Amino acid sequence: MSQLELLALDLETTGLDPRTDHVLSLGWVPVVRGQVLLAEAHEHRVRPPEGVEVGSSATLHRLTDDALADAAPLTEVLPLLLDALRGRVLLAHHAALEVDFVGAATATAYDARPPLTVVDTLAVEHRLRADVNGEVHGSLRLDAARRAHGLPGYAAHHALTDALAAAELLLAQVADLERRLGREVLLRDLRPRRSG
Amino acid sequence: MEVELAEVRDFLADHAPFELLPAAELSALPRRCTIRYARRGSVVLEVGDRGDGLYLVRSGAVEVRDETGELVDRVGTGEAFGMSSLLEHRPTRYRCTAVEDTLLLVLEPSAFEELTHAHPDVATFYATTHHARLSRAIGNLQRATSGSTALGTRVGDLVTREPVTTTPTASVRDAAAAMADAGVSCILVVEHLALVGIVTDRDLRNRVLAADLPPDRPVRSVMTPDPVILSADALAFEALLEMVSRDIHHLPVVDDTGRPAGLVTTTDLVRLENANPVYLAAAIGGQTSLADVVAEAPGIHAVLGQLVERDVSAADISRVATALGDAVRRRVVALVEEELVAEGLGPAPVPYSWVVLGSAARDEEGFTADQDHAIVLGAEPDATGAAWFAALADRVTVVLEQCGWPRCPGDVMATNPQWRLTVPQWRALLADWSREPRPDAVLHTAVFHDMRHLAGDRELTEQVHLASVSTASPRLLGHLSRQALSMRPPLGFFRGFVLERHGEHRDTLDIKRPISAVVQLARIHALRSGSPALSTRRRLAAAATAGTIDRDTATELTDALELMSYLRLHHQAAQARSGLTPDNFLRPADLTQRQRRHLRDAFEIVRSAQQSLSSHLPPGFE
Repeated sequence: MSQLELLALDLETTGLDPRTDHVLSLGWVPVVRGQVLLAEAHEHRVRPPEGVEVGSSATLHRLTDDALADAAPLTEVLPLLLDALRGRVLLAHHAALEVDFVGAATATAYDARPPLTVVDTLAVEHRLRADVNGEVHGSLRLDAARRAHGLPGYAAHHALTDALAAAELLLAQVADLERRLGREVLLRDLRPRRSG
Repeated sequence: MEVELAEVRDFLADHAPFELLPAAELSALPRRCTIRYARRGSVVLEVGDRGDGLYLVRSGAVEVRDETGELVDRVGTGEAFGMSSLLEHRPTRYRCTAVEDTLLLVLEPSAFEELTHAHPDVATFYATTHHARLSRAIGNLQRATSGSTALGTRVGDLVTREPVTTTPTASVRDAAAAMADAGVSCILVVEHLALVGIVTDRDLRNRVLAADLPPDRPVRSVMTPDPVILSADALAFEALLEMVSRDIHHLPVVDDTGRPAGLVTTTDLVRLENANPVYLAAAIGGQTSLADVVAEAPGIHAVLGQLVERDVSAADISRVATALGDAVRRRVVALVEEELVAEGLGPAPVPYSWVVLGSAARDEEGFTADQDHAIVLGAEPDATGAAWFAALADRVTVVLEQCGWPRCPGDVMATNPQWRLTVPQWRALLADWSREPRPDAVLHTAVFHDMRHLAGDRELTEQVHLASVSTASPRLLGHLSRQALSMRPPLGFFRGFVLERHGEHRDTLDIKRPISAVVQLARIHALRSGSPALSTRRRLAAAATAGTIDRDTATELTDALELMSYLRLHHQAAQARSGLTPDNFLRPADLTQRQRRHLRDAFEIVRSAQQSLSSHLPPGFE
């Protein structure tokens, strides 16, 4: 952990399927050697392709078509994200969504998927909370997991806030793991996955 | 696109002093923060760390403890720590430990700097918190008199091994063998668990080998019986002074029950970390000529300068300054006596004691102090005897002047025959002053009330000092109070600082005045409570215990004195470093805004204590 660089990422989308749904905003913040660097926090709204409407998902993330009309298209935001990700582990709560959408976007733009190492705070939380039978009691959702670690409550479904929420959650999880393991936490303790 | 860290901003907006900030500035702050997490029990900031930001507790709790481990503050959600390092631009004196799993928001130092610069309210907020913690830490330090300096080390902590012992009836040969086996230069002689003697290498050489004593003789015949001992809680500095004054190199240490617990040697003391003051005291005490003492004396300023740099408290530095001053003064008196003997004038014709007065008596010397001293005679000497004391006083004063203590402008020195009196004469004089307090009598009472034994017959000093404590009439107290009230501290700060208007000290602030005001207040309260205490701190504490001053006022005055003395010492250390003669004139321009604010608070404390005193004045003194 004292060497590790991660990038906490959260996406707001029109839905859950990267083949048919679209990214509406991205928020990210680096976690470098145990510190969340707010100075390098970023949030970008994304203008969906022509003809795509935000639809009912707006009730969740409150991003309306009008609000996104002036935003940059994903092809302009993607290089910034890939730049921020360079040399860093991708961190998200329920990371599959972020991995899928980022993968789909790069496949469209560059015809390739970037090789990513991914840490999922949901998976880490599962590891921390599972009993001997591998069963987990209570919710593993981001706000519930934060509550379980005594972290303050945040408003959900705002990309940067959720990225920050995941970053803080990871710090708390690492402290918890450190206490259990009695040593410094290494990347492998966080059940990283490779993708791309 | 403006990145909005809404959650962090809202957190700040909910807590003092950020709630005071305009929205635009508030929104810009989160980007200048990092977020960290501290596991329960982990140390966030260690004593001596340079703070890398202002730490705000987002959730959880942190304890702030001083160097001695005493709790100074507990910091909860929305509260801050780490400001002391930022405000003072020096490493922190606290250890900050997470006592719960804690989420921290850390504001970068430059942002803190800009914020406090642009918003005096924010600066005041953190300075107040800082000051409150500092006061508590100072209080802690004074309770744990051991302090943080090497001087304060307890000799019990220097003892590293069980003492090597023998019995009085063992043979000298066996004792020597035991010493050789253990590799020690000294053996303690113990009988029925009690320490009865000591035998050193030097004794084996001088009393056995050189005296051709058979080695089968009992240890009792060669030991030094009833050796000087120290209790385990004596200070290292006291051990050293004891060794130097008696020219011995081993001191047995005994526990509460009187059983030998170990041995302290000169080597142990010299090895002490930061042993400079100790080493210097030893060097001064070991000089055999007045010229060599004069040559060592400037070392005192160097040692004090180091202590200032190490940020030792003003109270501790003053004690060290006085102790080192005493080492010089004692050595000078002893060497002048030897000189008089060598010149055929003989030893002191009657018993006497040499007393120090003023700041030296109060353990409050700094870089600057005049010579203030007097002599108490055990009996009226004849004309030749009087000449002997005049010669002693003249020579001591000349040498002390060469060592860096200017002559007293008021001529309160033993060179003045008026201040070489017998005990009954001193008593009569003090009673006189008390009965009829003329202006010079008021001044003199103040000076002679601060009297401490330096050399000679301690009993003589005690008799005069106790007389001065017990002869203060209400009238005299009234006059002393009026004098104390005339030392008004400056009213405000910044432009309102009362500055010297003319001459070489133009545009400076004479810090000696408000310090004197505290000293005088403490003296009056000590007199009213009949306490023989000498240091201002002890006098205030004694008066609080006796109820002549309320405890909060006593504490506040002590803190104010510490702050003002601290600033004075730092000012004087800087002058000494650049080869100037240390003085009491602070330039407000050299003070930080925060120091000015603290100073203003200190002045306010002094002023309100003075007001409270004036309301207790006897009729006719208002």
